[in-house]
Amino acid sequence: MHIQNRFVVKVSGASGQGINSVGETISKAIKETGLYSFGYREYPSLIKGGFASFQVDFSSAPLASSSDKCDMLLVLSVSAFSVYYSSVAKDGTIIHSVIGLQQSEEQQKYFSENNIKVVFVPAQQLVKEAGGHPLMVNTFLLGVLWQLLGLSFDHLIEVLKRTFAKKPEVIELNIKMLEAGKIFQNENLQPVTLGFEFHPEIVDEMIISGNQAIALGAVAAGVRAYYAYPMTPSSSILSYLAAISHETGMFVKQIEDEISVASLTVGSSFAGTRAMCGTSGGGFDLMTETVSLAAMTETPFVCVLAQRPGPATGLPTWTNAADLLLAAFAGHGEYPRVVLAASDPQSGYVLTQVAHNLADVYQIPVILLTEKQIAESHFQIKDLPPAIEIKRGLVAEDQLESLQKMDRYRSTENGVSLRWLPGQCAPTFDANSDEHLGDGSLTEDSVPAKEIFEKRMRKLEDLKKVLPDPVLHGEETADIVFVGWGSPKLAVTDAIDLYVQQGGSLKLSYLHYEYMYPVKPEKLQQLAEKAKKVVFVENNGTGQFAKLIRMESGYTPDDLLLKNDGRPFFVTEIVAYIQQSEGKEA
Amino acid sequence: MSCNSCSTKTVGLAEYASPNALTWCPGCGNFGIQVALKQALVAQGVTPHQAMLCFDVGCNGNGSDKIDGYRFHGLHGRILPVAAGIACANKKLTVVAEAGDGATFGEGVNHFVHAVRGNFDITFLCHNNENYGLTKGQASATTREDVAMNSNPDGVTSTPIHPQRLALSLGATFSARIFSGDIAGMNRVFQAAIAHKGFAFVEILQNCPTYNKHTPHEWYQQRVYNINETDHDTSNRAAAVAAAEDINEKVATGILYQDPNSVPFMMRDAVRKDLGAELIDEVKTYDITPYTSRMR
Ligand SMILES: Cc1ncc(C[n+]2csc(CCOP(=O)(O)OP(=O)(O)O)c2C)c(N)n1
Repeated sequence: MHIQNRFVVKVSGASGQGINSVGETISKAIKETGLYSFGYREYPSLIKGGFASFQVDFSSAPLASSSDKCDMLLVLSVSAFSVYYSSVAKDGTIIHSVIGLQQSEEQQKYFSENNIKVVFVPAQQLVKEAGGHPLMVNTFLLGVLWQLLGLSFDHLIEVLKRTFAKKPEVIELNIKMLEAGKIFQNENLQPVTLGFEFHPEIVDEMIISGNQAIALGAVAAGVRAYYAYPMTPSSSILSYLAAISHETGMFVKQIEDEISVASLTVGSSFAGTRAMCGTSGGGFDLMTETVSLAAMTETPFVCVLAQRPGPATGLPTWTNAADLLLAAFAGHGEYPRVVLAASDPQSGYVLTQVAHNLADVYQIPVILLTEKQIAESHFQIKDLPPAIEIKRGLVAEDQLESLQKMDRYRSTENGVSLRWLPGQCAPTFDANSDEHLGDGSLTEDSVPAKEIFEKRMRKLEDLKKVLPDPVLHGEETADIVFVGWGSPKLAVTDAIDLYVQQGGSLKLSYLHYEYMYPVKPEKLQQLAEKAKKVVFVENNGTGQFAKLIRMESGYTPDDLLLKNDGRPFFVTEIVAYIQQSEGKEA
Repeated sequence: MSCNSCSTKTVGLAEYASPNALTWCPGCGNFGIQVALKQALVAQGVTPHQAMLCFDVGCNGNGSDKIDGYRFHGLHGRILPVAAGIACANKKLTVVAEAGDGATFGEGVNHFVHAVRGNFDITFLCHNNENYGLTKGQASATTREDVAMNSNPDGVTSTPIHPQRLALSLGATFSARIFSGDIAGMNRVFQAAIAHKGFAFVEILQNCPTYNKHTPHEWYQQRVYNINETDHDTSNRAAAVAAAEDINEKVATGILYQDPNSVPFMMRDAVRKDLGAELIDEVKTYDITPYTSRMR
């Protein structure tokens, strides 16, 4: 299915061939020309070889999702050709630089049935003739592509200059390769008529990944210690924060394992700074005992859980969202916690700050979910929202004198007790992982044990009251209400927009959850009463959020639209689902 | 956040007293260790507000609410990274961590390895009673070979860990061994450990009257000697390794090794070493436009 007002370019090759940087250059240059783009990365869990791709969907209207098929595929390696040839849409074009490429019968059949042109560009030879380095094949092909798209070379050259700002000696040569690509001719390559309207006013927009936004959320929130152990897709939070640490002054440390990561986070937070850690599912499994410790000692704890498919090592570099129930039930014993879910850079930025406020004010663990699809995709956005006011919930310096010995864990109406910090001239206390009294002294008696357990759990009741409801995109009364969390929002809202633009007959809306736990089912139940059909869209295999909602409210949706193959939802899949429902309606 | 009344006054032992009754077995080495720790903190002028005492889970950890000071009683085996996190966030605190040999060389041995490497500014008191006390006398990684223990009725078959050999081989900047029956010796060694800049490892040969019948109080008393009264050079790592080797006949106690030029973790950190402030004093909203402007 080709989507109107969208053009899709995919660059593919082996890992290590610089696919990602070509993709980034395309995204940036597209933006500079006054168009909107969304960049989606696929790559294997190895350093050299395999297959990798960077897909850029672009349009004259804002977008934040990928199509399942591309209009133009650039191929730099044999393995990428065999993996991606079938991702080319009808009437599309493949441009490759693979010398002696053999096409299988199946491939030839696919190309002829779909009217796909396959064009060989002897890029290695042409680069050599033009005096370039073998690695500049990418730049050469970019020149070919740009010429076909009819986009301005000035913008592309600007982006290249910025990319290579630290290596000025290669700039001239790269520009030369672009120009060599620009004049390349082949009878099968016809210029594309995009017919897009350009918006020069957006050239100043940002291109940002979800992980960069979460990292900047931490900077804005005053996080002063970030601890992590590398694990895709969380690692780029660590590397980005480390890269800017000389400017931010943040203490950014790679620690020996995730148990220690969580423990250092608890320690630094207990001491009184804002600390944060990040990991993926396997690392989070290791942290869970410490999450339980944070809850028991009522120490603020914030962890980013960047999801990828499991079980075990799973599909390390691919996407899914199957750790919601892990987060909601992590750790032994019963205790209050909050689970949040980002869906794009804006929400990642905001929710990171919200996570710290909630963790501080309620003295609880807060887990912020994200997914590979959000963490590593390249979003074009106008701006990040304004920073959120910091709320620490600490006893003011001038109130320390009035503190009583039992205040630290005293039972209160909403379960939140006064918190002050080691080093302060105030009554000392024991942050005790054993069950305890107001000052942290150990107890094994039934009455105080029940009382303090209930005190902690009351925080959850209070949180349910203060946490915001899910946000509705579209109309209150709809034929289909989609319900989702995380990255499906991107594909569903893009699909609804497209469907409306194309004058579809169904009334559609999308209910988006960011506050996952404690669960807020009320708004959903209200909408469900008026809707013809409620569909949960989840990037996992069993509909975890639907389960959680059912568990807390008894509500069961009419349908589940699930995907669990390591890939995100593509906008085309959602459109197809809507069209299918329309067919049933008619 | 510094407190005037704390920094001007002299601290007394009574300030570390707790109203909670001690729950250790009669004759347990933990009593003497707690006394010596209080004495050392007082002698170093550390008030309970400045003391950050971190406890692992075990018999020693059951003392967390039986002493004053700010305290954190964490999970079994995991106290070192918690203490490290505290020490990094607020260098002004005097951070003391305590854990058993089970926690240190079993459940959390990785944390010990990396805490030594990192040289976090912590005093670490390792209560080595050569068994898991709180869970009723199972073997630990320091239980001697062939000794029969709860759940190891035929005796331990694995080679025991030699704590000093391990610590010194990892590059510990301070490594000491002392006997829980020697309160004056503990006071002296604990003080040096508290004053040390970096990770100060103190192995306490702790008697366990209930479960360790193999090396009781008297056994140690007959064998320990103060190495700091000999001509042992504490700045010589090889000499320390040699002196520490014997744990059967003549057992050296005292400060075995100390690097006089030790640089603690935060002072090794390129970003933080020259910033005077503490992480706890820096929480505020930071402007992100320097970073977002590069994404445009
Ligand atoms: C994760 C975990 N595993 C096991 C235990 C049970 N446990 C509590 S204390 C302990 C061993 C204590 O031995 P040691 O650390 O040597 O301290 P000691 O009691 O001898 O002072 C164990 C296994 C626990 N609390 N947590």
